[in-house]
Amino acid sequence: MAALEIDNVRKVFGGKTEVLKGINISIENGEFLILVGPSGCGKSTLMNSIAGLESITDGQIRIGGEDVSGRSPKDRDIAMVFQSYALYPSMNVRDNIAFGLEMRKVPKEDRLNEVNRVAKMLQIEHLLDRKPSQLSGGQRQRVAMGRALARKPKIYLFDEPLSNLDAKLRVEMRTEIKKLHQNLGTTIVYVTHDQIEAMTLADRIAVMKDGIVQQFGTPQEIYDEPANIFVAGFMGSPAMNFIPAPIQKEQGQLVAKVTTAGGQTYSLPLGKRGENLEKYEGRKVILGVRPERISEVNITEVEREDVVVVKTKTEIVEPTGPDTLIHITLNGVEVGCRVAPDSAVKAGEDMEFMVDLSKAVFFDSETEARI
Amino acid sequence: MVNHHMAQRTWGFWINRGIIHALLISAALFYLLPLVVMLLTSFKTMDDIRAGNLISFPAEFVIEPWIKAWSSACTGVKCEGVGSYFFNSVQIVVPAVLISTALGAINGYVLTKWRFRGSELFFGLLLFGCFIPFQVVLLPMAQTLGWLGIANTTTGLVLVHVAYGVAFTTLFFRNFYVNIPSELVKAAQLDGAGFFKIFWRILLPISGPIIVVTIIWQTTQIWNDFLFGVVYGSGETQPITVALNNLVNTSTGVKEYNVHMAAAIIAGLPTLLVYVLAGKYFVRGLTAGSVKG
Ligand SMILES: Nc1ncnc2c1ncn2[C@@H]1O[C@H](COP(=O)(O)OP(=O)(O)O)[C@@H](O)[C@H]1O
Ligand SMILES: [Mg+2]
Repeated sequence: MAALEIDNVRKVFGGKTEVLKGINISIENGEFLILVGPSGCGKSTLMNSIAGLESITDGQIRIGGEDVSGRSPKDRDIAMVFQSYALYPSMNVRDNIAFGLEMRKVPKEDRLNEVNRVAKMLQIEHLLDRKPSQLSGGQRQRVAMGRALARKPKIYLFDEPLSNLDAKLRVEMRTEIKKLHQNLGTTIVYVTHDQIEAMTLADRIAVMKDGIVQQFGTPQEIYDEPANIFVAGFMGSPAMNFIPAPIQKEQGQLVAKVTTAGGQTYSLPLGKRGENLEKYEGRKVILGVRPERISEVNITEVEREDVVVVKTKTEIVEPTGPDTLIHITLNGVEVGCRVAPDSAVKAGEDMEFMVDLSKAVFFDSETEARI
Repeated sequence: MVNHHMAQRTWGFWINRGIIHALLISAALFYLLPLVVMLLTSFKTMDDIRAGNLISFPAEFVIEPWIKAWSSACTGVKCEGVGSYFFNSVQIVVPAVLISTALGAINGYVLTKWRFRGSELFFGLLLFGCFIPFQVVLLPMAQTLGWLGIANTTTGLVLVHVAYGVAFTTLFFRNFYVNIPSELVKAAQLDGAGFFKIFWRILLPISGPIIVVTIIWQTTQIWNDFLFGVVYGSGETQPITVALNNLVNTSTGVKEYNVHMAAAIIAGLPTLLVYVLAGKYFVRGLTAGSVKG
């Protein structure tokens, strides 16, 4: 059964600012949903609407099949972790975690047992008597999670829970949250603007922009089959290359033409990826290729039909450790390529690249939608 | 080179320090001098006052002026001292301060955490209340107290001070709570707490600084009030400020400066005491913008 259904939800602030413009999302029990999108796109507003902290203008929100649109937050059986943690400053950690149980009239003994269980799970037993002001950022984060976990609600909401932590701690907590989800099998809605967090944690991702869900799917779908240029550009780092390229027919096969900075023109065969492109013959489309699909020449793969070798001048060479990012120019736009560090040349020198089109995507240059 | 430079800095440092301290000390003396004169005078005999100058020490320390000021000096027709008026003031100040502070806290809580349509306008109008001069409300308020049947009563004076003070107390609490993250309230709502539970359990325990500020402010304002006291109080219910005025202005006989000074100090003591006891919280509360969560 669907744990959470968001059905055509709209939210208008003050009668004029439409922040959510008809959101449709549905997730199953135990799924990990990530809402991702640029700042101001309405993620927090959607979270607050799910929690009941914000009323919705239109549409319906169902939890476990029941319409909760009109219910107050406390009657929705939801727990939320806030970006600022929102720990009660005057209470120690124990009381912070137990507060929700106390409000729900759980007997004192059960409350203490529950606090101890959660504290053990999150390894914060030694912090129980401290005030929030005596905790580090990472510890506060854990306590905030503990407070949410203590009540065993139907759904957990996380609004950018890791964005106030430093990079190292963020990666650690990310893993920990993933572990927690696997062990507890809870339904989680999680907001982030970090696309790596989105890819690593999610069962499903909803990519939002301007109050509209641009695409809703599994991480792999979002990554490999982005619905439009916005999604393609937002997910993945370094970002996907967008190369405007004319489509032509050569020997009965559709190809995309690319020209290097040196003036050399190559034909990239579209193969199976070009199935829907017949009607674009003779027109320009936007060819999307991720940097890892433009690499150094590799003997075993170069024979494939959907692989083309392109030789051109390298412009910028950026070593990142595990691989090196090289910038070249194709059809007048900058294109990033990801190569093995050993095969990288110096900036300004010529190098042969292998363009792998097996995962290439094409966008209409007018609508920016995927073809 | 380095040493020379350091020495120069030290010199400059001490000169600066000296100037700052000299300024501060003279300012302090300037403000303390009247109090010192009052204290000295209140322990002198009348002969001593006529003979000596203002800041000379009493030739003989006497406590009689204080006793007289408290229990037998004439304030108008009655000659019972200012003691009973002191308790009048206490009876006005304590409830008025507590009620106006409590209302201000609730108002501030609603205006920041439970905003409603028009709450900004409401706050604007309330703020306007801070700038209404006493004189403007005198007549309408007298009328209102008459209608309510509490003219010339302590209850009436309490009501006047609460009505007038709520604008200030609301302003204080509103500005304090606006810096407390609203997510605290959201988290408590999700935890199942209601309107008053959230106020009582989450916000009030961290409101210490602003409560102290408000109490000091209100206590000082209400204790020192003269105009409302003289207009809306009468005889039995008048506050000590009015009694002090009557005492000093009683025209029969010689002016007993020692008694007047003692009475004035008695009248000023509570506000002084409140500030000495809680003054550091006052300063801290005024400057502390937010509570880090
Ligand atoms: N109470 C409100 N009144 C008016 N506009 C609001 C309110 N809350 C949020 N907004 C607007 O809604 C938009 C989305 O905000 P938000 O949901 O916080 O974005 P995100 O969490 O994705 O960064 C923003 O443009 C913000 O200014
Ligand atoms: Mg947000």
